[in-house]
Amino acid sequence: MSTLSAGTTTKSGRRRRSSSLVYTEPPESLEHISDQAALPNLNSQWVNAKGAWAIHFVLIVCLKIFYDILPGVSQETSWTLTNISYMLGSYIMFHWVRGVPFDFNAGAYDNLNMWEQIDNGDQYTPAKKFLLSVPVILFLVSTHYTHYDLTYFLINFLATLAVVIPKLPASHRLRFSIFTSAPDDDP
Amino acid sequence: MNATTSSPNVTIPAVVLDLQTQLLAYLTLAANYFYRLPGSSIVLRYIKSSYQDDPVRSAVELFLFLFAVRYLLAPKYSTRETGSRGKGEVKLSEEEIDELVEDWTPEPLVPPQTAFEENEMEKRPIIVGPTGPKVKLSNGRTVTNLASFNFYNLLSSEHLKDSAIQTLRTYGVGPCGPPGFYGTQDVHNRVEADIAAHLGVAACILYAQAFSTISSVIPAFSKRGDVIVADSAVGYSIRKGLQISRSTVRWFQHGDMADLERVLKKVVQEGKGRQLTRRFIVAEGISEMVGDIPDLAALVELKTKYKFRLILDETHSYGVLGAHGRGLTEYAHVDATSVDMITGSLAGALCAGGGFCAGSDEVVEHQRISAAAYTYSAALPAMLATTASETIRLLTMGGPEAIRQLRESIKVMRAQLDPRSDWVRCTSAIEGPILILVLKDEVVRQRNLDRDDQEWLFQDIVDECLTNGVMITRLKAMPVMIGSNPREDGWQPTPALKVCVTTGLSKKEIEKAGVVIRHAITKIMKRGESQMKRISDSSR
Repeated sequence: MSTLSAGTTTKSGRRRRSSSLVYTEPPESLEHISDQAALPNLNSQWVNAKGAWAIHFVLIVCLKIFYDILPGVSQETSWTLTNISYMLGSYIMFHWVRGVPFDFNAGAYDNLNMWEQIDNGDQYTPAKKFLLSVPVILFLVSTHYTHYDLTYFLINFLATLAVVIPKLPASHRLRFSIFTSAPDDDP
Repeated sequence: MNATTSSPNVTIPAVVLDLQTQLLAYLTLAANYFYRLPGSSIVLRYIKSSYQDDPVRSAVELFLFLFAVRYLLAPKYSTRETGSRGKGEVKLSEEEIDELVEDWTPEPLVPPQTAFEENEMEKRPIIVGPTGPKVKLSNGRTVTNLASFNFYNLLSSEHLKDSAIQTLRTYGVGPCGPPGFYGTQDVHNRVEADIAAHLGVAACILYAQAFSTISSVIPAFSKRGDVIVADSAVGYSIRKGLQISRSTVRWFQHGDMADLERVLKKVVQEGKGRQLTRRFIVAEGISEMVGDIPDLAALVELKTKYKFRLILDETHSYGVLGAHGRGLTEYAHVDATSVDMITGSLAGALCAGGGFCAGSDEVVEHQRISAAAYTYSAALPAMLATTASETIRLLTMGGPEAIRQLRESIKVMRAQLDPRSDWVRCTSAIEGPILILVLKDEVVRQRNLDRDDQEWLFQDIVDECLTNGVMITRLKAMPVMIGSNPREDGWQPTPALKVCVTTGLSKKEIEKAGVVIRHAITKIMKRGESQMKRISDSSR
């Protein structure tokens, strides 16, 4: 037993350097993975459901109608607002909030945002492909209807980047700790 | 003058011309099909209008579009390093699978017995008939029993026996259902009220097993991401609870309040600027593995100062410490309501069964739906509940007298062992009826004894005592838990003898038993190093 405890630790901790602003969420322990598998992840499963894809277009149309009926809003502003609202909403939903709102898995997903929970972290799955193409198409459409004005273009482009970059496989489990230090693992 | 480049005389091969017309024909055809597609005009208009004499912007849009196309065409892959769908998966053919199955020899479910275990099994005493201060063994001998938690000898009480039989006739044996599912009977509510009143707290919840009480209370409150600061010497059931809770566990040196403060400070420091989590301190009333008592006043002061909740496990101290057996809170003159959760056992000193957790109304109500051992196991048999009620009544009424007697007995037993023996010292508190005897440091150092050697010596002492008519036992620590982080199991209890004092024996008898134990220790220790070495070598 003493040789075990004195030896190298099997669990790889968060790579922590005091100067680093970026760290990678470490892979889960066996115990953690079995907790994740205890129940299906109801928080992320629904993105594969039939209605879940259609609702994106419905919401975008609703947003557009909403901004159109606001008095004094031009077509350009209306499209830009629709774009920004959708991007902001999807950023909060898929990339900002972590964990599961209900207690199904004993908090086993607390360190992962919803994008990382979808399809158990697999990349390039149909749901992820769809969820990435929607903001790209919305961006292309909205730049078109803002008549390629540079200011609107820049705003829309930056908003799109904000949701596209976190979706890249390279950003999987990547964390930025600008305002807080990286969590420390040693007991 | 530039005749070679612009010469109309250069002849184009007929094949190329043919190819060109073919290609044009295909393109027109493709264009026709494209125009016929619904929405094609929109796409065309979009592309035509998108280039607004702004190459950079168009390039950015084109790049984004191409990126999206590339993303859509990329094949799916898993990011898991291990597991069934992970990258590390090796594809095997049917033959290879069969071959591996053929080659596989299962490890035995139970590893073969070690020499030590064989020896222990062989010499294990078996009690025939009821247990008490004097018990009959299967080999026909009657010995003095100093291995049961029968401190007040309530086991021999005719009064308790009668009342248990009475309850049995009225209620039957078990309630056959969990408390929340037709398992609760009036006697359960009564014993909960009795314990709460005895301790002086608002409410109490009754568990069916003492062991699973604390290992269920901890995970009921503390979840993944929460922080628990625990004493490094806590017993197996607490360790199990800490493990099940999935919380982040920090350890402090056993009973060391300065070290506790250091750890609390560190936890508070690390928690700054992060989401607030629940934080707990877990400690034992009387330590199961060492036998000593923590400084409760300091614990309560620290937990208030650093805003932690205190879970105090009184499994071995409830019914034992304090003038009325109210446990560590009465002993240390601390208000029981200042400890957030007090868990305890009704199976030891109280000679009933089951466990309890006492605290505020909120603490108790929360457990009724979220403590696994309460929700999912059948309620305590009614006769154990009434026995517990009765023993608590006895402790409240005649507590001071019974506890004074127990103190006397402990004093008599200790006098024979701790200062008198050259080989062992007692790590238990003076008030503790379980005497934990470890080898003195200088003896261990002089003889260069490792853990196995000490276990062998103590087993021999236990056997020697039994030969002389006194049954005691060793401190039996549970194994290191499967799946636990190896770093968290740094602490191991020191091998020790365990002597449980009871008031069921007269002073003379206790003194005699103490002498037997002391002589047995001396005899085994004086047996000479050569013999001991031989035994320890054969164990490896």
